[in-house]
Amino acid sequence: MRARLALLVAAVVAYALAAWAVAPGFYDGIAPPQPYRWVSPPPQFRGSNQQPLSGHQSVKVGTNGKTDPATVFTQDGQAAISFTPGAFVTPPDHAPVSIDIKPQPVFPDPGGIHLSTNVYCVTATSTLAAGQQLLVTLQYSDQLPAPSSMYAYQGSGPWQNIGNTGSAAPFYLSARSSTLGCFSAGYPADAGQTAQGARVSGGQAVPIIVALAILVVVLAGIPLAVIRRRSGGDEEDEG
Amino acid sequence: MNTALALVPAPVRAIGLLLAAVLLEWARVLELRTTPWPALTLLLGGLALCLLSLGWSPDELGLGRSRLPERLLGGLALAGILLLPAAVRWAGGPALAPPFALAAVVVSVGEEVAFRGAAFVALERAFGPAVAVVGTTAGWTAAHVLSHPLQFLPAVAAAGLLLGAWRWALRDLVGPIIGHVIADLAL
Repeated sequence: MRARLALLVAAVVAYALAAWAVAPGFYDGIAPPQPYRWVSPPPQFRGSNQQPLSGHQSVKVGTNGKTDPATVFTQDGQAAISFTPGAFVTPPDHAPVSIDIKPQPVFPDPGGIHLSTNVYCVTATSTLAAGQQLLVTLQYSDQLPAPSSMYAYQGSGPWQNIGNTGSAAPFYLSARSSTLGCFSAGYPADAGQTAQGARVSGGQAVPIIVALAILVVVLAGIPLAVIRRRSGGDEEDEG
Repeated sequence: MNTALALVPAPVRAIGLLLAAVLLEWARVLELRTTPWPALTLLLGGLALCLLSLGWSPDELGLGRSRLPERLLGGLALAGILLLPAAVRWAGGPALAPPFALAAVVVSVGEEVAFRGAAFVALERAFGPAVAVVGTTAGWTAAHVLSHPLQFLPAVAAAGLLLGAWRWALRDLVGPIIGHVIADLAL
């Protein structure tokens, strides 16, 4: 039994070390590595390219007067935005907020930025509430160098670097934005981008899931251990 | 195990099962690159992996019902361990779309039943527990070569080792299934 326990502990430690070395750690690749759909494909992808799809969702206003939380995807999953309750200003008539994500064929010159993804513009029938942020997540092609940052612009530009959350699963990149607008992932054109990066595809509530798992294990495990010990003691008494 | 499987020499059966699991995973990943129905492909891929357990009893696969409450809790504990590195560095992200969430459940169950279930018990009977743990870890890692960048493979291998060690130490597949399903749904 000690050998089994020792192997388990060693495996936990090995996993912790290996998973810590690459974000997000455990990742099983469920999101499919489909060919990236380009608005304007690079030459090597022109033959097989399919046009990217847009996304739309209506977000209701809850009984508390705040807009509901949601994640809005494009139909091909290449772009998504996530937001928390009350992210949008509640319309005066409490009508649902209509949100659209559309790939853009025309956009301002990014200058010294190499864009690695399509440009996606996010529009809504209401504005973001003060102090609220969107989490923008863009997929990028697994056949090209990985982007390092998310870039955004409003109106006619200019492009601005809005960073990268850094907690990423393969072939996705996320960043937080305090405004609606247009987004693309890329890297400075003078940077030598060769390695594949990590991508963000983390679930909305990963820390909550982990905390709940620990809580249930502790709260249910202690009574269970007590019951097992008592029944074991009874068996010994009977024996 | 049923009589048809028993006719095949144990080492051949074990290696065949492991190779079949790896090839099914590769076929799923390659099909995903071209199919217009990715969620359906994931579902079918997961179900195909489950079929590799045909001929084995639930007890042989580690799916018996003894001490089920402890094993269910063990699954939650495994989920906590698998997700902890992501949770500590969590910066948010979208959840899986519903069709992919269902597919994630089926694929997770299929991978556990195929690798830590059927392949594990076959390898253990043919070569012993050490080869079962190492062999299923190697097969599981190889199965992810086409879907993961190189730098993710050590974490995949370590997760496989952890789940395999659990399977051997506790003779249990319920915990790895629950842990794997929760982790896949969360990420």
